[in-house]
Formats: sequence, structure tokens, C-alpha cells
Amino acid sequence: MTFLVLKGSFELGIIYAIMALGVFISFRTLNIPDLSVDGSFVLGAAVSVVMSSGGRPLLGLLIAFIAGCGAGSITALLHTKLKIQPLLAGILTMLALYSLNLKVMGGRANIPLINKATVFSVLEKTALGNYSKLILSLAILLLMLFFLYLFLNTRLGFVLRATGDNDHMVRALGVNTDFVILMGLAISNGLVALSGALIAQSQSYVDIGMGIGMVIIGLASVIIGEVIFGTKSLLRRLIAVVLGAILYRLIIAFALEIGMPSTDLKLVSAVIVALAMAMPVIKKRLSLVKRKLAVTNHEGRQKG
Amino acid sequence: MLKIESLSKTFGKGSNNEKLALNKVNLSLQEGEFVTIIGGNGAGKSTLLNCISGVDETDEGRIILDSVDVTFFPEYKRSVRIGRVFQNPLRGTAYDMTIEENLAIAFAKGKPTGLRPGMTKKDSLLFKEKLELLDLGLEKRMHQKVGLLSGGQRQALTLLMATIVKPKILLLDEHTAALDPTIARKVLNLTRKIVHEEKLCTLMITHNMKASLELGTRTIILHEGQIIMDFQGQERSNMTVDRLIEQFEKRSGAELDNDRMLLG
Amino acid sequence: MKKPLAVIISVLMTLSVFSLTACAPSKAVSANNSGVNKKIGILQIVEHPSLNTIRESLIKELAAKGYKDGENISIDYQNAQGDQTNLKTIAQKFVSNKYDLIVAIATPSAQAVVSETKDIPIVFSACTDPLGSGLVTNMAQPNGNVTGTSDAVSAEKIMDLAKRITPNIIKIGALYNASETNSVSVINNLKDYAKKNNMTVVEGTVTNSSDVQQTVASLVSKVDAIFSPIDNTVASAMPVVAQVANEAKIPVYVGADSMVKDGGLATYGINYAVLGTETADMVVEILQGKKAGDLPVKTMKDMNIYLNKDTSKAIGINFPDDVLKEAAQVFKN
Repeated sequence: MTFLVLKGSFELGIIYAIMALGVFISFRTLNIPDLSVDGSFVLGAAVSVVMSSGGRPLLGLLIAFIAGCGAGSITALLHTKLKIQPLLAGILTMLALYSLNLKVMGGRANIPLINKATVFSVLEKTALGNYSKLILSLAILLLMLFFLYLFLNTRLGFVLRATGDNDHMVRALGVNTDFVILMGLAISNGLVALSGALIAQSQSYVDIGMGIGMVIIGLASVIIGEVIFGTKSLLRRLIAVVLGAILYRLIIAFALEIGMPSTDLKLVSAVIVALAMAMPVIKKRLSLVKRKLAVTNHEGRQKG
Repeated sequence: MLKIESLSKTFGKGSNNEKLALNKVNLSLQEGEFVTIIGGNGAGKSTLLNCISGVDETDEGRIILDSVDVTFFPEYKRSVRIGRVFQNPLRGTAYDMTIEENLAIAFAKGKPTGLRPGMTKKDSLLFKEKLELLDLGLEKRMHQKVGLLSGGQRQALTLLMATIVKPKILLLDEHTAALDPTIARKVLNLTRKIVHEEKLCTLMITHNMKASLELGTRTIILHEGQIIMDFQGQERSNMTVDRLIEQFEKRSGAELDNDRMLLG
Repeated sequence: MKKPLAVIISVLMTLSVFSLTACAPSKAVSANNSGVNKKIGILQIVEHPSLNTIRESLIKELAAKGYKDGENISIDYQNAQGDQTNLKTIAQKFVSNKYDLIVAIATPSAQAVVSETKDIPIVFSACTDPLGSGLVTNMAQPNGNVTGTSDAVSAEKIMDLAKRITPNIIKIGALYNASETNSVSVINNLKDYAKKNNMTVVEGTVTNSSDVQQTVASLVSKVDAIFSPIDNTVASAMPVVAQVANEAKIPVYVGADSMVKDGGLATYGINYAVLGTETADMVVEILQGKKAGDLPVKTMKDMNIYLNKDTSKAIGINFPDDVLKEAAQVFKN
């Protein structure tokens, strides 16, 4: 693998890790399968590109985050107030976002950002040069990680984690779970939108189809991270998600290196996620087989 | 402390499974009163507790807790004044969080859910003290996830969580039913201790007729959504299990059909 | 008592949705329809500078030849925003509204309309491979109701140009979406050329624009140059192709001028305004009575060199003077 490929994979992995953190909040912490991720990702990207075209790339990141929070709130309200199943609520929001995103993009399905300043272009002119993407994205990721860790240790963070576990208990302890879900999905989609915003500025374009399959990639990152890096403490889990996102990109790069056509990449993703999820079962089976072998060996020796 | 007026609740209105669970129930509890509730299957005991706590909406009637009409309050608004322990040991705690963290959430009951730190060192020390009082060794396992605890330990923890902020009323829904007898007895003793020390107004559903007469100061029997017996004081101290069954069958006109109650 | 109410509400909602979708296009047509002769529907798959150029010059040429929108023709322009299902819906509406002629810009648009009608004349524009895409069975005499203009580029001519600019390229990376028929035919031409010229082709296929960055990153270490035809998927991600390739100092030769503008190094491509004009001329012939099936499919003979100076600077290449002189346009900022 060349250095360029490695660097590119890390760049992508770090930005997508922000999205993976968002998916972690909804799917793992709140236990809500939120499919609006595909839509929020593009929403963030669209907002970011439109604002960068207008000369305000940094503000674009902030507005993208807020827009994502808005999208997440809609899903939450559909679920808590209209009692629509979370899976359906997410799909409805994703559908609505398709049209909304096109509106944001002024009716165009693709907007390139040629020769407009992005949050990266300013740094690229300094000594950081070709590493500016890596360094700035890493800085933003670490900032998000820090705030997320702090947040999950506040009172709101505690009840957020508890709601995903046992919402009956949370209500019985005097907390409005509707509000908690609203906060959780808002932050989750805000992170996803921020990730989309960064990708768009990094790649200098937004395309209406760039969100397809994002939720799967996010889940894959979370699961890979959990299986490989463990779930012992909260901090460990968060870092595991980030490492999982980066590892996912490295695996894709490796598959491309050995000549796999990108049409097969989705199959690779599916296999990886399936393996990762089956890891506990596979481990158990292996240890059972080991025990069996040990017993038969022992008996064999006794007889012989 | 608690006043229930003409409370009615029907499940499955308009369908084949329509059932009148509570039929114009009237009940009044004083501060510090410890009332036990018994009744056959489907008598309406859990429904009564669910209506008081707000899990189920009522069709008719009023619920007044400590002079506040909570009839139309949503569950989470009511639970600020209520402590609850459920029959299912899994329902009262968050299994993926530590004992400490669970207590922290319980301790924050009534306080605003904001961005203040979920738990401070001071809180941690307080939790340790309270856990020591349970005498189950849980204070040494504060950083462990609740999922690792046994059913009885969980119920004891839930009991502590329900009372760490003093509630106006403590609702216990057959909270020892799912435990084996030794542990059940321990949890019941714990219940007696905490209720006595904090002078909590308590409503406890139990299937154990002996326990229903031994614990608390007043016993109520529910049948088909109505209170058919309600006794305390001298009448209660003279009551035995046999006489209770006799009285029940006379008043309700039905046979006591609950095996758990008869044999338990 | 709740059930009948729910049924009534759902029926009302369905009816209103249907009436809204049915109303919209007819309103657009009838507004222009007062005392008008011919109704022309223009169907475009997506908003894109090249495609927009075609449409605009087509409308201009029609006006120049005496067919002005709102006077003796009414034009209904619909954009599918990149959604294939939308494309189908719009095509169906055009047909059910009995338009006199349909212009379909780009292969997906043409494919959607061709399967909807055998009667209404269809003139496609910017379809790279009309035969391969199933639009016509015979380029010289289409015989059906379909004809049009092709933006087929010659992989040969582009590679000849490439050799003039960067003579020592041997391994060529083919960057394209294999599900786009327009791309596949040009790539096959590339492979033939490579065989005849002692070059090798390394495949770099993508399925959607999110794959592009990592695929290009993986290609650049394996090839001396990258070739991409007029591929919608690659074109939509052109900025990132340029980023990665420039960092690795690999030249990217593309199929369309818009792709050069977005960061490619060079192309030997067609002028899309001219394509639009040629298409308009065919429309006029049909409006004046000729049958679509009798008009041969037009391919562009007039190709031009388009270059990008910023890209050449980024990868450290100087365009040879004769190439610069021949160039129709040199993009720079």
C-alpha cells in the first residue's frame, strides 16, 4: 500500500468517524435504529457547499451541524409525539430530506466547489500543506470526541444512556424520555451532518446521492470497533468507534490494492460486518471444539 | 396523602377483549400508612398501581397525591413524587450501567436534567453509605454493571433507588414474586426496615397471604376491580389466613382461585 | 367508530395526491397552449453544465429557425434531478399528454422515453452509444421513431493527444462506472487502442461517487495516466479525482470539456453548444414533416482540444506549444 493510499484512508476514516459517533449515539446508546442518517449526511454536505460557495466555509460547518440537529429532531418528534415506529420515522425523515436537500442545492443534483475557499484551503497554504486535511479533521474529531465524552457524563448524558437500556426506569425516576430522545437524535444527526459537511469540503463537491448507504457504513464502523477494541468503559467504546471507522477505510483500501473491483466492495462490507457480529459465537464454538479435542485426546491416551 | 376517587379503567374498549379492570374504586391513605393489597388474578391490583403512577391512563375518576391532583399528569411528572419497585427485577435498573450510575440517576429525581455532572465524588460517598445499609456487599461492587447482579440484589438496589429521594408514596408491585424464598425474605425485611425508618406511605401488592397480614398496618382485598375488604387495627390483628379466605369467599361469592395465594 | 373515519381520511388523502400530480404538468402546458401548434417536451436527467449548454443552444437554434417558445411551439422542460424513477414518471407524462416531439438529453433520459412510445418522435442528444444503449438498431437509418445526436468521443483521438502531452505513458488506468453503457463502449475502444500501441489498461471501476476517492488513490500507484470517458459518476466526483491524481502527479485524460474544467488535464472532445444546434436542426426537420426514422444519427466530426493550465502546473507538466495553439479553450484561474 502506498503512502498516498494510507494517508487518504486515514483522512476519510477520521471524517467518517464523526458520522460513526453519531450512529453510535442513536443505534447503540439510545437503541433507536435511525435511518435518517442517509439524508442528514447529504444535508450537511449541501449546506456546507452552499455556504462555502458564499465564502463562509467555517460557518458552513456550524450551520450544517445545526441543520442535522433539526433533521434528528423531526425523526424524534415523529416517533415520540405521533407514535410512529422509530424505523419508519427515520425513513420518513430521510425521504423528506431528499427533496429538502435538492432545495438547499438550488435544484441541482451536484455542486462542485472549484476555487472556493474551504476550511482546508486556508491551512493548505501554510507549512502544513498536504497534511492540512489530516490535521484539521483530526482536530475536529478530537474536539467532538471530547465534548461527547463530557456530555455523556452529565445528568442528561446519564439518562440518555439509561433510556436506551430501560426507558421504563427513566420515566419512573421522573425524567421526560421524549425530551431525552429528542436531544439524543438531534445530537446524533448533527454529528452525521457535520461529517457530511467536512467530506463535501474535503472533496470539493456535493452530490445528491452521496449519502446512500451511509448508515450501513456507520454501523459497520461501530461494530468493527466494538468487536476489536472492546466495550469495557464509555471512553473505550467511543475510541473504539473512531478506530473502527478508520479500520473500515483501511480494509476497503486493502481490498482495492489486491485488485478487487469496487463493485465487490459492498459484498466485502457485508462479510466483514457479519463476521464481526458473529465473533462471540465463533469464539464460543472454537473453545468448545478445543475442549472436545482435549477430552478425546486424553481418552485416546488412556486407552492406548 | 393519597386519595383515589371513583377510579375506573377499562382495557380494550369496543373489542372482544373488553375488560373492566377497575370499577369506581375509592381509596384513601394517610401519611405513613403501610397498606398491603391482595386479590386473585385479574382483580385489578397491578392496574391500580399503574393508574396511580401514570403508566396507564384512567377513564374516570381522580387521583390526588399530597393535595396535588395528578390525574392528568404524564408518568414522568408524577414519578417525581412516587417510588416504584416492579415485579420484574429487570425493569427497575439499567443493566448496562454501573450500580453507581444507576443510583446517580435515582438521586437526581426531581432535580433538573441539565448539563451538570451526572455524579460527583460527594455523591459517590453517599451511595457507598446507603449501599452498606443494605448489607448485601454491593458497596464493594459499585463500579460493576448492574447486569452482573442477581435478581434479589437488583430488587434491593431498585428499592434503594426508589427511596433514596424520599417519595410521597412507595408502590411495590409483587416485588419479591420473582425471587427465591430466602432472598425474598431478605428483601421483605429490607422493605420493612426502609419503610419504617423513612416513615413512607406505602402500597404493597403481594400474593403471600401470610405476609400481607404481617407487614404493614392495613390490608385491602381487590376483586373484579373493586375493594371488597379493607381492615386494620384490632380486626386485622385478629385475622388469620383461614378466616381471611372464609371472609373472602363470603363477600365475593366466588372461590379463591389463586394457587399462589393459597399455598404461598 | 374509528375505522370508517380512518378509511375516509386515507381515501381522501390518496385522491388529493393523485389530483395534485395529475394537475401540475397539464397546467404547465395549457398555460402556453393558447393558439399554439406544436408541444415539445425536453427531458434532462440531471442539472449539469454540459447538458444545460445543449438545451440552451437547442432552444436558441429553434428560435433562430423560426420556432419560438410560446408563439408557435410550447416547450415543457423537465429535470429528473438524477432520479431514475422520476425520469420514468416524467416520460410517461410526456407521452400521456400527447406531445408532438420529445427531446431527451443524455442516455438515461433517452432510454426512459424510448420504452414509453413508438409513435411520438424522439430526438436524443448527447448519447454516447445509441446502438449499445438500445436506442436505435441502425445508425444510418434508424427506421423507428427515434433519432438524434451522439457525443461519442474517440478514445483513439484522446490518447493520441495524451501521447503528445505526456509521451511516456504505458499503463493506463480506466476510471468509469461499468453500469453506464455510454462509458463501456469508449473504454472498449481504449482497450483496442492500448493493444495496438503496446499499452496496458488497469481497471478502476466505481459504483457511485463515494467510491471514487479510494479507487483513484489505489489506481495512481499502479498507472502512468488515468483515462475517464464521459461517465456521469466520475464526472460528478471530478474535483476529488483531480485532487488525488494531482497529489500523485498523474495526468487525467477525460471525455468532456466540463470534466477538464473540473480538474482533468485534457480532452479531445466535442463542443456541446454545437451539439445542441445540430440537435435543434434535426428537430426542425421533423417538425417540418420528415420522419424521425429517416434521419441518420449524427455524430460530431468537429472535435476540439480542451486543456486545464492549473492541472498541468499542479502535476509539473508543460503543454507543447503546438498543442496550446490548437486548443479551443484553456481553463485556468
